[in-house]
Amino acid sequence: MEIKTEQFSEVAKKALESAQSYAFLKLRANFVHKRRETALSTFPDAAAAQTYGAAIRREAIARLPELLEEFEKNALANGARVFWARNAKEANEYIVQLAKERGIEYVTKGKSMVTEELGLNEALEKNGVKAWETDLGEFIIQLLHLPPFHIVGPAINISVEKVRDLFIEKINLKEPTLDPAQLGYAARLFLRDKFHRVRMGITGVNIAVAETGTLINVENEGNIRFSKSSPRTQVSVMSLEKVVPNLEDALHLVRLLCRNCTGQKLSVYVSMDNTPKKDDEMDGPEELIVVIVDNGRSKIYQDKIAREAMRCIRCGACLSSCPVYREIGGYAYGWAYSGPMGQVLNPLLLGLERTQDLYRATTLCGACKGVCPAGIDHPGLFLQYRAKDVLGEKTFRARKRPGMERSFFRLWTWAVTRPWLWNWGVRTVRPFINKEVHEGVLRKVQGPFEGWFRSRDLPAMAEKTFHDRWRETQESQGRTQEAGGAK
Amino acid sequence: MEVISLFIPCTVDLFLPHVGEATVSLLRRTGVRPIYHKEQTCCGQPAINAGYREQAKKAAKHFIRVFGEDEKVVSPSGSCVGMVKHHYPELLAEEPEWRRRAEELSLRIYELSQYLVDIRKIENVGASFEGKVAYHESCHILRSLGVSEQPKRLIKAVKGAELVSLNAADSCCGFGGEFAIHYPDISESMVRDKVEDYLSSGADLLLVSEPGCLFNIGGFLNRNHPGKKVMHLASFLAKNQGR
Repeated sequence: MEIKTEQFSEVAKKALESAQSYAFLKLRANFVHKRRETALSTFPDAAAAQTYGAAIRREAIARLPELLEEFEKNALANGARVFWARNAKEANEYIVQLAKERGIEYVTKGKSMVTEELGLNEALEKNGVKAWETDLGEFIIQLLHLPPFHIVGPAINISVEKVRDLFIEKINLKEPTLDPAQLGYAARLFLRDKFHRVRMGITGVNIAVAETGTLINVENEGNIRFSKSSPRTQVSVMSLEKVVPNLEDALHLVRLLCRNCTGQKLSVYVSMDNTPKKDDEMDGPEELIVVIVDNGRSKIYQDKIAREAMRCIRCGACLSSCPVYREIGGYAYGWAYSGPMGQVLNPLLLGLERTQDLYRATTLCGACKGVCPAGIDHPGLFLQYRAKDVLGEKTFRARKRPGMERSFFRLWTWAVTRPWLWNWGVRTVRPFINKEVHEGVLRKVQGPFEGWFRSRDLPAMAEKTFHDRWRETQESQGRTQEAGGAK
Repeated sequence: MEVISLFIPCTVDLFLPHVGEATVSLLRRTGVRPIYHKEQTCCGQPAINAGYREQAKKAAKHFIRVFGEDEKVVSPSGSCVGMVKHHYPELLAEEPEWRRRAEELSLRIYELSQYLVDIRKIENVGASFEGKVAYHESCHILRSLGVSEQPKRLIKAVKGAELVSLNAADSCCGFGGEFAIHYPDISESMVRDKVEDYLSSGADLLLVSEPGCLFNIGGFLNRNHPGKKVMHLASFLAKNQGR
């Protein structure tokens, strides 16, 4: 998919101006938030369950190389094929090749963020293989040629009227209706026909189990199960961090994933695949092919702090919790992963240079960290990425900070560690800041602060700082015993 | 008499000195003797937030030199306390001696309401106020320090004051330091939401315990709803005392 991370501010502004998207985001965030809370409360101890999830993911990342090898060994023993793709190009070429060798005209796809990351649909179509998205939301945005608005609900921002018009135009909806169930039924009829004749299905993977070689998918529509069980060839694409040690761990993550994602105790469908169809079995795919995608991750893995971003289980709880996402929605983040999870993942996968806004457009409020079942410290990572820019770390394709800013912090450090200079600085800067004071407030300050003053005032800089006031009181009262100098 | 060391964040020192004075008066009324180190400057948050970790480290060391021997440090800002408490040990992780000092200090530094309620076991500071008040849960006080009940208990104990509930009280007001400067559109939309929730809460006054939120919400109110006020909890508790 096209990378638009550099257009963050522009796209965000458009979203802010759209009253419809605004009202929707507010409504939905509250709804999802409440559902999630209710679902989590079904754990005897929700906080402990979350902490346990974080521990599982932490261990999985710490042992990643070893777990992947174990997974491969067991998957091969189960009769699956495993392909390691170093990057998007290798993954796409391999999958295109699989389709070509089998004379495939079209594939059905389950919703998968990693294939969005790879741009797999575009690669397939370029080679004459049609890719049908079969998740209802993905299906809608595919027909509309839009990116996902939310990782879990990619089309949640599309109005029902728009879906009606789209279905009339694209899938022969006969009787115009605004009934979501009827619209869903129309999509189902259309897609059932695709499933009926499909020969190759491509899905993502929610969790891969090292100990058993199992692939787990969590969904509500049954389309992933169709994509995995109907065709002769099943292709499961996973980013390499999806692996966990054993089934117990995996099942705890399923519990957490469903509750944090859609506020369900369990999703409608959970499918687990180990092997292709055995000789004595009636149905199932004849070949099971696992594509393990690196795409820059093993490089990230070398950085012990940054790699913690790979704990993410794609539940999307951070999106609904994020006060910035709730204002601007998912498009501004400009790539497969949006909201706080995208803000920690995209910079690592695409490089810092072109994702600056993602880890700067945040108030560091920590709401995301608070809800994350994988224990990711998003604000901490944002600060780490910023530090990499300052240091100009090449591995992460950092962008050096402007000279003005660097000089400012050089001066600032000088002053902060020298109280006399700090106080002198305060006195020197004050007249410039306080150029136009009205009734004790600043209504406008030129320069980089202009944006603030479009809608807000600021108290003027005090003519007497607390420091001055304290000193004066001490002097006038002669109570020097309270002055307590530094040791 | 209990002696505490005042940590007055630079935002308070430079723009909101009255909040610092309110903190002093409040502490004195509760039987505490505050001392103030004139050598204090800034905790280093602007530097770490901008990615200048080396520079933030220098600020941290200066802070530890100034406050390191104090038995208790109290501040009217959760964000700055969070910086000292959580970021200093992490920043100085590779310098064992400094790290030790940072970790020790982190155990002795408190946000004002946390200090009053948890350490001093005081809820009623003898203040009174006729009307309804709402409390905005500032991000770092809430999530970095886990302080939420303490300010509310102090408010509930104020004679005549009714604490009303605020929709999305724990949602960020959109300040975020440099965020508000670099992304003013998003920030503005966030503070507008916060103010709308305040207006619809029916409260006569909004209380916060964080200088940043005070700038942001206060600045927006001043410009767009001049009749409505937001106040620092310290000012609220100090101003209406002894009536």
